[in-house]
Amino acid sequence: MLYFEKKENISNKSKLIISLVSLLIGIFFGGIAIAVVGINPFAVYKSLFTNAFGSWYSFSETLVAATPLLLITSGLILVFRMSVWNIGAYGQYIMGAIFSSYFAIFMPPDLSKPLMLSLMFFGGLLGGALWALIPAVLKVFWEVNEVISTLLLNYIALYVLKFLMYGSWRNPTSYGFPLSKPFPESAQLPIIFQHTRVSLGFVFALLAVIAVWFVISKTKFGYEIKVIGNNPTTAKYAGISVGKNIITAMMISGALAGLAGMVQVSGIIHFLQIKLNANYGYTSIIVAWVSYLNPFLSFMSSILFGGLESGGYSIQISMRVSYGIVGLIESIALFSIVGAQIFLNYRLRWKK
Amino acid sequence: MKDVHHAAILVILLSNAVKAGTILLYPTIGEIFAERAGVLNLGVEGMMIIGAFFGFIVAHVSHNPYLGFLAGVLAGGLVSLIHAFISITLRGNQIVSGLALTIFGAGFTTFYGQKWINMNLDTAFHTFNIPILSKIPIIGAILFNQDIIVYISYILTFVMWFVLFKTSVGINLRAVGENAKASNAMGISVYKVRYLWTFFGGIMAGAGGAYLTIGYAPFWLDGITAGRGWIAIALVIFAMWDPIKAIFGAYLFGSINALQFQLQAAGTTIPSAILNMLPYLVTFIVIVISSIIVKARHIQPPKELGIPYSREEK
Repeated sequence: MLYFEKKENISNKSKLIISLVSLLIGIFFGGIAIAVVGINPFAVYKSLFTNAFGSWYSFSETLVAATPLLLITSGLILVFRMSVWNIGAYGQYIMGAIFSSYFAIFMPPDLSKPLMLSLMFFGGLLGGALWALIPAVLKVFWEVNEVISTLLLNYIALYVLKFLMYGSWRNPTSYGFPLSKPFPESAQLPIIFQHTRVSLGFVFALLAVIAVWFVISKTKFGYEIKVIGNNPTTAKYAGISVGKNIITAMMISGALAGLAGMVQVSGIIHFLQIKLNANYGYTSIIVAWVSYLNPFLSFMSSILFGGLESGGYSIQISMRVSYGIVGLIESIALFSIVGAQIFLNYRLRWKK
Repeated sequence: MKDVHHAAILVILLSNAVKAGTILLYPTIGEIFAERAGVLNLGVEGMMIIGAFFGFIVAHVSHNPYLGFLAGVLAGGLVSLIHAFISITLRGNQIVSGLALTIFGAGFTTFYGQKWINMNLDTAFHTFNIPILSKIPIIGAILFNQDIIVYISYILTFVMWFVLFKTSVGINLRAVGENAKASNAMGISVYKVRYLWTFFGGIMAGAGGAYLTIGYAPFWLDGITAGRGWIAIALVIFAMWDPIKAIFGAYLFGSINALQFQLQAAGTTIPSAILNMLPYLVTFIVIVISSIIVKARHIQPPKELGIPYSREEK
């Protein structure tokens, strides 16, 4: 019969191949799903690809979507490497957006641009970090399962946002729509490529991924993360403070998600509203996993998934294909990568 | 006269609380069994919305709520097999596979659900009185003037409690969740047991979802389960992996749901964002308190929860 035999060495090449094959499996099943509703999947994918990578402008829109993915994924890599399951980037992103918007909405608009943007930058980091601190402390001191606590905090954050948007933060001249007043020019992140929406936030994302790579491979904190991820009990005996590391990593992860929220409101939307694309928080979990928690693979995955998100958004209008297709493709790719783990760790053998 | 009026409102409120609680009770019991067998399935939200979707469509097309319910149950069971295959056969990470299932359910129903949005059902489960029991003052009107799905949930809860703690089936499944290797040595097929109870978890999540769109809110909306699957997973901890305790958790949340509804209908001045936040906030507080209790009383979750089993490794 067929059985699995444990493999010792796993090459980066096989990881990359499995990542790409998983994405293709997602695209294949997504194609079937599209064909079932009577639309030609090849036409849909052609349009999706063109809308994601076909021109400089479409590619710049892919970068716009890749920016929050990369920021959030960088933080998730740290916590996931410790086997701490922060599923709360969605809520941390919203909190980052709320905290940074506070300055844009309530500070005098004639504040100098560097000062305003700095306040918003740190506001975003702080909002996300605080929202991640709650589940971190609960986990470390009372063993509250972080998957459930972070998830519930996502819903709570969404309703905090709704509360503000239907309450005191709503622009009195928005005709009842749940929008804040528009951000002053001083609260808008500068655009780095002319005639696109790619803002300084993209640079933040690049710096974040490099910083995370550095932390993982060059610092004591990175080493401790690795030990804790392998076995928390061993880590404890080796004199590593597991709780402190969990709290630190969670706060960094939350801060980066919060920064992604700040980049979205300050760089893209230019006001606060209920629809902030916080779903990037969930997509980033997929990106992190598809990248095998490797910062450089995560850079490539962020761009691929950014393309899927922005292309998927466009085909909604041009081909009348529901945006749900993106979730379908992403989830099937995620199933594949998780299922394929066994082919990395084991070799299929035949025994009589 | 006024007291009678208040009592009547209370009866309606609590009767709705039982209905809303039933949506959670089924998935919670299902997840208790999957976890007891060692399989953590965080895809409850995904299985529920798939069950809700197929339940709604079949009920809509066939004009038969019972057929719809069966379709939802079956659909929930079928998608749970994806998680079973990945986490049991392929020994993949159960947390990530479960999350993928949740994202899959949301994506699938958004993709295929577009044309069903805001459609209503023209059919409903029949409500009927249980003789004698329904005559009990107040309680009778709340608990024994319901539909068949609610009655099944009462019976099922006690039957499953009995199965879990008083039968060899229950002993075996708990053994598999506590120590798979030893169970295998005792001649229990670990894979078979885990597949079976993961599938059971899927059926139950499908049932909860189908009851939502057929029995409680008979229309289709994108994302209609709205996190109830996650609340069910939290209730498993609240119930400390015991089906009987799950009843209390489910009805507590059912009450919050029903109260929310009633207050909104009565035109309360409490902002709706706060009202809608309530179920999640209360779950959050409850989960923190029950985790502290679980820790203080040294109640252990199934020891090998979330750990894949492989027959080859010694």
